[in-house]
Amino acid sequence: MRLSEVQDLFARTMLAPPEAVEAPEASIAALFTAAPDVLPERLQIYRNTIVGTLTDLLLATYPMVKALTGEDFATVMLRSYVLSYPPHEACLARYGGGVSDFIGSFAPAADIKYLPDVARLEWAINESYYAVDDTALSPLELLEVQPDQLSDLKLQPRASVRLIKSNWPLESIRTFCNEKNPGKLDLNGEGAQLLIYRPELTVEIIPLGADEYALFDVLMAGLPLGAAIEKTLAAFPPFDFGKIFQKHLELKTLRTLA
Amino acid sequence: MRKKSNQTDSLSQCPPDANPAGIGLRHAHYRGVTETKPDIGWIEVHPENYFGGGIHRHYLIKARELYPLSFHAVGLSLGSATRVSREHLQSIKDLVSIYEPFQVSDHASWSMSGNAHLNDLLPLPYTEETLSVLCRNVDEAQEFLGRRMLVENPSTYLAFRESTMSEWEFMNEAARRTGCGILLDVNNIYVQSHNHGFDPHKYLAGIERKYVGEIHLAGHMERESKAGGTVLIDTHDSHVRPEVWELYFFAISRFGAVPTLIEWDQKLPELSVLVAEAHRARDIILKTELRHAAE
Repeated sequence: MRLSEVQDLFARTMLAPPEAVEAPEASIAALFTAAPDVLPERLQIYRNTIVGTLTDLLLATYPMVKALTGEDFATVMLRSYVLSYPPHEACLARYGGGVSDFIGSFAPAADIKYLPDVARLEWAINESYYAVDDTALSPLELLEVQPDQLSDLKLQPRASVRLIKSNWPLESIRTFCNEKNPGKLDLNGEGAQLLIYRPELTVEIIPLGADEYALFDVLMAGLPLGAAIEKTLAAFPPFDFGKIFQKHLELKTLRTLA
Repeated sequence: MRKKSNQTDSLSQCPPDANPAGIGLRHAHYRGVTETKPDIGWIEVHPENYFGGGIHRHYLIKARELYPLSFHAVGLSLGSATRVSREHLQSIKDLVSIYEPFQVSDHASWSMSGNAHLNDLLPLPYTEETLSVLCRNVDEAQEFLGRRMLVENPSTYLAFRESTMSEWEFMNEAARRTGCGILLDVNNIYVQSHNHGFDPHKYLAGIERKYVGEIHLAGHMERESKAGGTVLIDTHDSHVRPEVWELYFFAISRFGAVPTLIEWDQKLPELSVLVAEAHRARDIILKTELRHAAE
């Protein structure tokens, strides 16, 4: 058998249901010197490492999903994700972006309507945590911009900025997950419009007003400042750009012009 | 003492002769290492953990100011029939230019098949075909990075029927053909010798001295087999076992003062425990050197 065929067969066996390892097919058994009574447990060592470490990684990326569903349920669900959608690359910081969609299609979780949005928030936190380092916009930089060029300015949010909108009260769900002795989860609060970013080393989550959210949305789409303000103003009159801009200069959510 | 032959930069970047043992730097010890500055010769990290920004790079910069650094990659999948990812190589190359490691290594194993990365160091059949695949990938990686690499012998739990050579012959030949060095994991040799039934000293005696550029030590666990006997699993979650220290002593006697790393990835102990393990390796190296000098 060619090496590519050996590796393809081995990979398929690892990602198949457990029976593929418990009662290996003749083609896989023929590859190895291990005796028939030893082979399953040796294959199992590899499968445990592959599926186990990837599942643990996702449990760490999705602590709120774990808190809300319980460790056993979350483990089964994320294990199922690992087997269906193994990583395509070795950089595991980028693994697990499809979990929210997967939860949406995972029948046993169908009753937990808010869970996919919780997972979207957790993925945004993960992306923000690993985003490339950059520098915040300094008020001094703006003094260098000529007034007639302000409208064309490309004001960009930092690389770590992610926006999440949900009809579910994600902030109170998050508080619930972080409490040691949580009471009953209250889902009656308002929906969430959140900005997730990493000012320095830790990820922060800032609730945004509707106009503020709309502004960041168009800025992230690459609109120049003038057009971004016009668009936001048209949707949310009276939109006070000066106040919002000052707030975000202080929060350091905007990227240097340099 | 042997000088490390794969260096392009100043020697101050290499592990010092007086302290050739280091530890793997892991997240839980970022602050401990950078604030208490333990007496270790060098540190090693998986570059894959630093592809993004934020806290990991922040602490690696601080740690790099204190210690020589080695990059031990886990994601190149050098034994895959699939070619090495250029994107992955580029990410490592970018990190190399920032952190200037004295060494870059990966494994004689595979993880990638088709579009799936299995996140484990999987076993290879030791055949001519595998040798040419591994050498092609090592050549490409070394050319891309513009430097010599080390390739580590894996821990395995299965051996292939179609293997036509021993692992040490395979490792020697890969090094001879590509110019890479060997990162000798003594714990892996011990684990395999138990699992596959060979004499680990014979393995070490079979490895050519000139290729060995680094040694790894780690803990393993023993598990009962339903078929009788036990299997050893390379877990990196405990102290280096006495049997492995003994084998390490034999390795140092044979290969000389090779920079040695304590790997501990799961159930991380206090930093002082890792440092004590590194000191034990350092003392074995320095005593062996003294003995050789006296002879």
